Amino acid sequence: MGYRVSRETLDLWLATHAADYEIWAPHRFVGEGCFSDTDSVRYARVTKLEEIELKERSHYSFKEALTPASQTLFYFTQEACTEPEPPVKGAILLLRSCDLHALRRLDDMYLHNGPADYYYARLRERVKVVLLGCAASCESGFCVSMGTNVSENYDMSLDPVAGDFLVDCKDADWAAFFAARGCGEEPVTPAHVEENAVKVTVPEKLSPAVAKASLWNQYDKRCINCGRCNFVCPTCTCFTMQDLYYDENARLGERRRVWASCMVDGFTDVAGGGSYRKKNGERMRFKVLHKMLDYKQRKGYQMCVGCGRCDDVCPEYISFSGCVNHLDEAMKEVQGK
Amino acid sequence: MDMNTAKLKKNAFRVTKVRGKTASRVRVPGGHLEAKYLPVLQEIAEKYGNGTLHITNRQGFEIPGIDFADVDKVNAALQSIIEGLEINQEEEDAGYPASGTRNVIACIGNRVCPFGCYDTTGLAKRIEKAIFPNDLHFKVACTGCPNDCAKVRMHDFGIMGMTEPQFDPNRCVSCEACIKACRTRSVGALSMQNFRPVRDAKKCIGCGVCVINCPDRAWTRSKKKYYRLTLLGRTGKKNPRMGEDFIKWVDEESILKIILNTYDYVKEYIDPNAPGGKEHIGYIVDRTGVEEFLRWALKDVDLPPEAEVYTPLYWKGVKY
Amino acid sequence: MIRNDYIPFPSKVLEVIRHTQIEYTFRMSFDGEVRPGQFFEVSIPKYGEAPISVSGIGPGFVDLTIRRVGKVTNEVFERYVGDSLLLRGPYGNGFDLNEYRGRELVVVAGGTGVSPVRGVIDHFGAHPEERKGMTIITGFKSVNDVLFKDDFKRWRQQMNVVLTLDAGEETPEHRIGLVTKFIPELELEDAASAVAIVVGPPAMMRFSVAALLERGFREENIWVSQERKMCCGLGKCGHCKIGDTYVCLDGPVFNYVKGKTLLD
Repeated sequence: MGYRVSRETLDLWLATHAADYEIWAPHRFVGEGCFSDTDSVRYARVTKLEEIELKERSHYSFKEALTPASQTLFYFTQEACTEPEPPVKGAILLLRSCDLHALRRLDDMYLHNGPADYYYARLRERVKVVLLGCAASCESGFCVSMGTNVSENYDMSLDPVAGDFLVDCKDADWAAFFAARGCGEEPVTPAHVEENAVKVTVPEKLSPAVAKASLWNQYDKRCINCGRCNFVCPTCTCFTMQDLYYDENARLGERRRVWASCMVDGFTDVAGGGSYRKKNGERMRFKVLHKMLDYKQRKGYQMCVGCGRCDDVCPEYISFSGCVNHLDEAMKEVQGK
Repeated sequence: MDMNTAKLKKNAFRVTKVRGKTASRVRVPGGHLEAKYLPVLQEIAEKYGNGTLHITNRQGFEIPGIDFADVDKVNAALQSIIEGLEINQEEEDAGYPASGTRNVIACIGNRVCPFGCYDTTGLAKRIEKAIFPNDLHFKVACTGCPNDCAKVRMHDFGIMGMTEPQFDPNRCVSCEACIKACRTRSVGALSMQNFRPVRDAKKCIGCGVCVINCPDRAWTRSKKKYYRLTLLGRTGKKNPRMGEDFIKWVDEESILKIILNTYDYVKEYIDPNAPGGKEHIGYIVDRTGVEEFLRWALKDVDLPPEAEVYTPLYWKGVKY
Repeated sequence: MIRNDYIPFPSKVLEVIRHTQIEYTFRMSFDGEVRPGQFFEVSIPKYGEAPISVSGIGPGFVDLTIRRVGKVTNEVFERYVGDSLLLRGPYGNGFDLNEYRGRELVVVAGGTGVSPVRGVIDHFGAHPEERKGMTIITGFKSVNDVLFKDDFKRWRQQMNVVLTLDAGEETPEHRIGLVTKFIPELELEDAASAVAIVVGPPAMMRFSVAALLERGFREENIWVSQERKMCCGLGKCGHCKIGDTYVCLDGPVFNYVKGKTLLD
């Protein structure tokens, strides 16, 4: 059911639902950007409309709402392991279409790749989604190419229009909330992007053989293996375990998992001292093929949602979409051999 | 030919080698100006000068080859620049006032440079507002970060941008990028303890390299901007020397006050026989002792609690 | 409610066997189902969690052979008898002994690579009726690095054993040279139907498989076990992923037909 909602009513909706949900939305952290006097747009818990960044696509994805960068799994003593208290509230996520598609990838990784992840699952079943419409394409995104520009699996959509908001409520309770407050009914279709400036084409016959192409060599030197591309990515899910000891004897402590990056040193280190993919170009190849080939072979659809965040965050101006668009010639190169 | 050279110099013109020819000295506080002023300079140089411009060491332009007779016309022509750069001017169309206190210079700062910790030109202009015009020989420079591209340690007051890194452990992914960057690009003030960087606050110089290199915004900049204030560096014939650290983690307000206080101190103690009424502050401090200088400089200065004042102050340098 | 697979269970240290300066076998109480080639995530005090192959299976226990790494000291390793370690698992597919039953079997293992195949060797050593001829070629850096010394005495009675050292002097027990040197000399009834298991460091595995193929083995008759960093064992952490394969879920034991496609 579609409604035209005033700012005041939407603020009331936020305040009301903040009681039972952590409401995660893009938020402008003023002055917290990489460089001085620049901002960082990241997901934060909000309770008011003014706290929501409605224009700029967030620099970091929503994934931290479901899988924090650092998450304590349990505390241990010699006798027992104790889980931290489960989240009290559910979560409402304000997502753009690319990120809503990314949520499906997170679900498939955390719930369906091997046994379901306990920590992800227990919050995930209490998640609701508000789709933020995209009236215009962002500069670096290629959602149309990845087929992630349109979403329908939302509980509510939200589009700012001339001082008001248009919402499409699929959630009956939320629809009732707006109806009860006299919001005018009208048909609403969330805004979506129909064309991006950036377009990518993944070759139909892309295969692991492309690993031998010369394409990857340039990244040996260009890439500085900082991992920003992974940390901003809404579909990167890797993590590393850390045991933190509170005492000398290592009997008391906590185990946590923190985000890991396949670009950063140490990702593949095994206990005996060996490691794989030492060159940055090999790491780039691993990442690109994970997003555009391996995952699809396993799950039947591409992992990358084309949000373009990795392009925007790379300090070395390495373009992921640019790389993908070279895969075709890279395949021809290895097939020619 | 009759010319009051003292008056000429106070109007920011130089007495040159060529008899009857002067050079107009156009200060650009903070070294950054709108491009629209360049045609004005071009016109002055071509109409009144010899068609050339010198880019000065202190971020100004010097237009040589001007006839004494054209000084007033040049001043009038400079008016749009003087207004545009918000120079403190005593009389309209009378050109740049004073030439004792030197142009406040600035590196390109955070308007452009990723390392800059603040808007250096902005601060330079605020200092300009506070101290100009003035006959006393003061040199002030602003640099965005401890790389000190503006070479502020060669100035009486060197202002180096700092940020106090803020750490959010919940965003840290233990990648050690900050540790490596601090070790290789800065002073090695970070160490890894229990999977997280720990900052040695004493060692930290506030350069912000950790913030720049953090891939997940675990390190961010302090809301408050801080500075390192260095003191009494100078070039010159007798005893050139580097400015020494005076206060670390000092704020802008305190810096402005310290500079203004120093004007009072210099007025009190300057050698009455100093040539041209100009004496490097350092020589005055050598004479009065540092304690007396500090008594004046820190008068009514309310330093922020995090400020660290270096003591004792001692300058080296070459003595001839 | 979904089970929390991350919470480990305590397992009693029944015995600690020291093999070398840095390698120890912990005999841990365990009653569940487990097979050779599977692994546990073991919480090693002062180190953290690490994937450790099952190096032996017996009534009420599993053996876990652990190499001392980093800041972990001998004291930590030796004083744990009667104490407990936290385990999760077993994870991974492990070796399917049915693949080798009734066939000529060759095991090529290097260093700690002997751990995951020790259960296979033990089984077919004790049950010669379940296989045809059997040869193991095991390589270690030096005489001080040899693992499972007592086992070798038994194995020598049960099968052909080549125990080779990278360097040093040849003795009645030890040959000198890399494991690949001994693959061409394998005496086999029929290489084309014989099966082989190869476990060890990446380069050793690559060259050993090449030598086996050269010797006449078929790709589909060779199995390899991959060692990768693994932080979860549950297909989540991503460290063990190779191409579209998660070593923790789909491996670590792979038939070479699949194994050859796994390029890091």
